[in-house]
Amino acid sequence: MLNRRDLLKSSALTAGSLLLPAGLRPAFAAGEDITIGAPLPMSGPFAANGKFGSMGTAMIVEEVGRILDRKLGYIEIDTEGKPATAVRKVQEAMERGVTLFSGGILSSEALAMGKEVAKGNGVFITTAGADEITGSECNKGTFRWSVPTFGAIEQTVRPLIEQLPDAKRWYTITPQYVFGDGLLNAAKAIFKEKGIEHVGNSYHSLTEKEFSGYLTNAMAAKPDALLILNFGSQSSDTLRQAVSFGMKQRMTILLAWASGLEQFETLGPDLMEGVYFGAQYWHGIDSPFNRELVAKVQAKHKMNPNYAFASAYLTTKLLIDAAAKAGSTDGPAVAKAMEGMKYAGLTGDEEIRAADHQVIKNYYLLKGKAKSAMKDKDDYADIISFGKSFQSPEEALCKMA
Amino acid sequence: MIYLFQLVNGIGLGMLYFLLAVGLSIIFGLLHFVNFAHGAFYLLGAYLVYDMTERGVNFWAGLLLAPIIVAGLAALTETVLLRRIYHLPHTFHILVTVGLALVVQELVIILWGPVGGNVSPPDALGGVFILGDFIYPQYRLFVIGLTLVLAIGLWWLLEGTRLGAVVRAGSESTDMVSLLGIDIVRVNTAVFALGAGLAGLAGALAAPIRGVEPFMGIEALGIAFVVVVIGGMGSYTGALIAGLLVGIVQSVMATLWPEGARLMIYLGMGLVILTMPRGLLGRA
Repeated sequence: MLNRRDLLKSSALTAGSLLLPAGLRPAFAAGEDITIGAPLPMSGPFAANGKFGSMGTAMIVEEVGRILDRKLGYIEIDTEGKPATAVRKVQEAMERGVTLFSGGILSSEALAMGKEVAKGNGVFITTAGADEITGSECNKGTFRWSVPTFGAIEQTVRPLIEQLPDAKRWYTITPQYVFGDGLLNAAKAIFKEKGIEHVGNSYHSLTEKEFSGYLTNAMAAKPDALLILNFGSQSSDTLRQAVSFGMKQRMTILLAWASGLEQFETLGPDLMEGVYFGAQYWHGIDSPFNRELVAKVQAKHKMNPNYAFASAYLTTKLLIDAAAKAGSTDGPAVAKAMEGMKYAGLTGDEEIRAADHQVIKNYYLLKGKAKSAMKDKDDYADIISFGKSFQSPEEALCKMA
Repeated sequence: MIYLFQLVNGIGLGMLYFLLAVGLSIIFGLLHFVNFAHGAFYLLGAYLVYDMTERGVNFWAGLLLAPIIVAGLAALTETVLLRRIYHLPHTFHILVTVGLALVVQELVIILWGPVGGNVSPPDALGGVFILGDFIYPQYRLFVIGLTLVLAIGLWWLLEGTRLGAVVRAGSESTDMVSLLGIDIVRVNTAVFALGAGLAGLAGALAAPIRGVEPFMGIEALGIAFVVVVIGGMGSYTGALIAGLLVGIVQSVMATLWPEGARLMIYLGMGLVILTMPRGLLGRA
């Protein structure tokens, strides 16, 4: 199988030469009729995610080929992971007639783009994490596939407490902003309900890279379980340093919001073995649609789809299906077609809730495997449990404008 | 008791910060050259160890080779590019070295990809040291010990050898040193390579603690500048004291006021700039 790192290296080499000055790169030749916008961080620290996302969008666009008797294409929009850049480039794309957008990996850029696209009567679907996207800042043009913080905690902390009845003392490490607090508050509610002692929490800034001080605090509190509530490279750093402090041998570790395969490749099985992870997607999910996708991606790209790839593939498909159903690429018509849509998705049966545009899907609790137990190079984890947990639109504070 | 843990942890962090910053400080001291590419040498050191261990090379061999390779590359860069701009104002130094740092970062992405990686500590140091309630990774203890030995060795090099005397004299007046028949151009290259090699070693030592990712150089550069500004530009002892101070403040604050741990480092730097513009032990 192709090495994922090699694949990204070649894409990193070619991307720069292919970008147009405006940062908009038509993936197909001119003359296409329907264009999907893919605003993703193609450069900067999150470029790897963006590149896999772009590959996912490209694959479904190529696969479908035509809808409504018009040729289908997509435009890769490099947001650079910056909200202001993302908004400016999305505006440019909308001026060129693009109404349908799938992308936005980072919460800040997704929130900004969602508002902009909605203002221009377009439709934007994202996989970003911020609860506000389908919560307090929900709007008529924005949809979100990923499970919010409430469901991520309900489907990881709750089943783990049930599996580990002796783990009565939990310590949390939390990034200090809305996303972290969303996860922390959901965890605290479960601790209270289950009689768990929350022996401490360490807040840290979004730029922190050194977690040994916080881990020293955690060890001094002698917890039975360590709940890591940051994400991306910060969660990898926290876990790496926790393992070096021997915490894996002394307590259960749960990383509630993992990125899946892309993160596991950087961690490796030695760090992951015995650690629990929460995930939006895993290529080992046993659903017909996912099995089909995994087979297709293996055949085409000689790799397993990761979260960025699979979610971009699916969210772009939802836009295409909705446009076909609506018989138009007009934003409000496509949005209406998406509302209440039920479909066989990556995580099984999924549904787009009409009231807040949140996709109702499963969230997964995974457990890292020993290197010797891995069946192939990507077989980092087993699925322990999964399920759907969502606040009502009212509880999530969505008042659809 | 927890503050004692944090103190030890802070010393561990601080020694790594010292190693990172002292090269920057020495280069500025002798060459009066602001090297914004210093983080890039740290990045290269980390990635070289990562690459070698991925290829099955022994970690210890990687730890030895990485700083040597980085020092060699730095010497080449100094000879081909940087020595041509020493006489220009600092803004040109910044322009060229920032550009150099970006080139190195992009080369790292092209060579190793944008996704980071993990470097396991050597098996002999993979465990933890336990003394009662005190638990600390053996590898971090090794880093403290090694950097301590290096700090003493570096002090001896600068204070007790002829090369050190030339470097110290050169930092006072390069013209005078040249008039004494010493080839200051070669000394400059050697000092630049030494400073960059120390950054490479810091990167190689940090790789098992932090992992590797293409943007780690920028973060390291930030910390290195904080340490150098607090300690005083060009001061070896200043870099040591400031490195330890920053490490200990960062670690102890993780208990006292966790969300402000990083803020306090930069706040401390701001205070030093306001009250002691030359840093704790800096010269004019």
